[in-house]
Amino acid sequence: MNSPAVLEQLISALRCLPGVGPKSSTRMAYHLLQRDRQGAQLLAASLQQALDKLAHCDYCNNFSEHAVCSVCQDTARDKTALCVVEMPTDLMMLENTRSYHGQYFVLMGKLSPMDGIGPKDIHLDKLLKRAQDGTVNEVILATNFTSEGEATAHYIGQMLKSRGIQVSRIARGLPMGGEIEYVDSGTLSTALLERKAVT
Amino acid sequence: MAVSKPDSGSHKQSQQPVFILHTYPFKETSLVVEMFSQEFGRIAAVAKGARRPLSAMRGMLQSFQQLAGTWSGKNELKTLHDLEWMTGLTLLRGDALMCGFYMNELLLRLLPRDDAHAQLFEYYAQTVQTLSTLQQMPDSQQLAQIMRRFELKMLQELGYAVPLTYDEHGEVIHANESYRFEADYGACAPSATRHGVLMQGSTLLDMARGDYSNVVTQAQSKQLMRYLLQHYLGEKPLHTRQLLVDLQGF
Repeated sequence: MNSPAVLEQLISALRCLPGVGPKSSTRMAYHLLQRDRQGAQLLAASLQQALDKLAHCDYCNNFSEHAVCSVCQDTARDKTALCVVEMPTDLMMLENTRSYHGQYFVLMGKLSPMDGIGPKDIHLDKLLKRAQDGTVNEVILATNFTSEGEATAHYIGQMLKSRGIQVSRIARGLPMGGEIEYVDSGTLSTALLERKAVT
Repeated sequence: MAVSKPDSGSHKQSQQPVFILHTYPFKETSLVVEMFSQEFGRIAAVAKGARRPLSAMRGMLQSFQQLAGTWSGKNELKTLHDLEWMTGLTLLRGDALMCGFYMNELLLRLLPRDDAHAQLFEYYAQTVQTLSTLQQMPDSQQLAQIMRRFELKMLQELGYAVPLTYDEHGEVIHANESYRFEADYGACAPSATRHGVLMQGSTLLDMARGDYSNVVTQAQSKQLMRYLLQHYLGEKPLHTRQLLVDLQGF
C-alpha cells in the first residue's frame, strides 16, 4: 500500500532528528496527525518562529532573539571574566551554580580532529575578537574533559596567551560528596595527579 | 530443559587489551566504539547506553588509555560489555594530544577490520606512553621524530614494503648518492619518471637506523612519509593534518 505523498514527506522529514529512524518517525507522524493535532500545530508554528527569529548573539554566540542576548546585556555582570563553553546547555549548567557572574562565550561545538571539525566550525575568530575587547582580563576555559574538549581548551589557551590574555582552565577531581570508594579510576588518578598543596 | 549456550557460540572475548581509536553516536543513547585490540586488530563494538548521563562505561571510554575490553558477537559490529582500567593514567596534552589523534586517524584509515597486528599494537602502546611522558611544551622536532617512527613502523607492520637499505635492483644504498623513492618500488635512479620523492641515500639509511638527528633527514623523511601515506590513503585528506593547517591561520 502506498501512503499519500504528503504523509511520506512528513515521515522522512522527521528523520532529520538525531536518533530517529524510519520506525520512530512513522510513529511520530501518526501520533501527531491522529492523536495530537493541536500539538502538531504548535510544533509547526514554534519551529517556524524559532527559525525566523533566532540568531547568534553578537557577543557570546549563544542563540538569541536580539542582536545582544539578555545575559550579555545584564549590566550587573562582571565584564572582566569570560567563560568559554562548548554548548548552550553547558552555559545553563554554569548559571545553575549561581557562583559565576561573568560573561560567556558559546563555541557551539568543539574541535574534533577525527571528524574534521576545525577552528572555523567553532567560531574561533569571533572568540578572539570578543576576548580582546579591552575589558576582559581573564578567560576561563570550561570545555568538557574529553580528549576533544582538552584539545579545544589547549588551542584556545595557546591563541589567547600569545595575545597577552590571562587564561585558566576549570579544575577537575572528585565530585561533591564523592566517596573515593565509588569513584572511577580515571577521575581518581587525575585527582591525584592534579592535587594541590594544603595551605 | 534449558540448555545454556556454550561460550564459543557467543564468540565472547574477555579482558582483551585494547585502545579506543574513536567513538561515534549510535541510536538514541549508544555509541559505536572503534577499538584497536592486541589480539584481534581493529574492532567495532556497540556500547549500549554509553551516552546516558550516569553510564558506568562513560568514564572508561577514553582514547590513549590502555583498557581491558570484554565483547561478544560474530558479526562485524560486536557488543561491548565491559571496559576496565589496565595501566596507570596516560594523559596526552596539547600538541602531543594532537599527535595521538593523528595516529588514531591513520589507524582508522589503514588498519583493516579483524586483522591482528600485535606488534603494531605494542608499538602504538609504547608511542602513546612516550607522548604522555613528554613535558608540557615539547619542541616540535621531538614530536615529529616520534611520528616519523610511528608512520614507518605502521606501514611496515601493515605489509607495505618500505625498503630503506637497498634499491629496486637489490643493490645496497649509498649514503652519498641521490635516489628517487617510489611507492611499491623503493629507491630508484633519480632520473626517468616524475613519480616519487627525490632524496639522499643518507636519509634512507638514517631512517633504517631510526636516527633522525640530521636536519636533512628530518626534512626528507617528512616528505617521504607524506608521499607514501598519501599514496596508500588515496584522495581523501587526513582531517587531523587539515586541522593543524587551519589552526596555523589563527
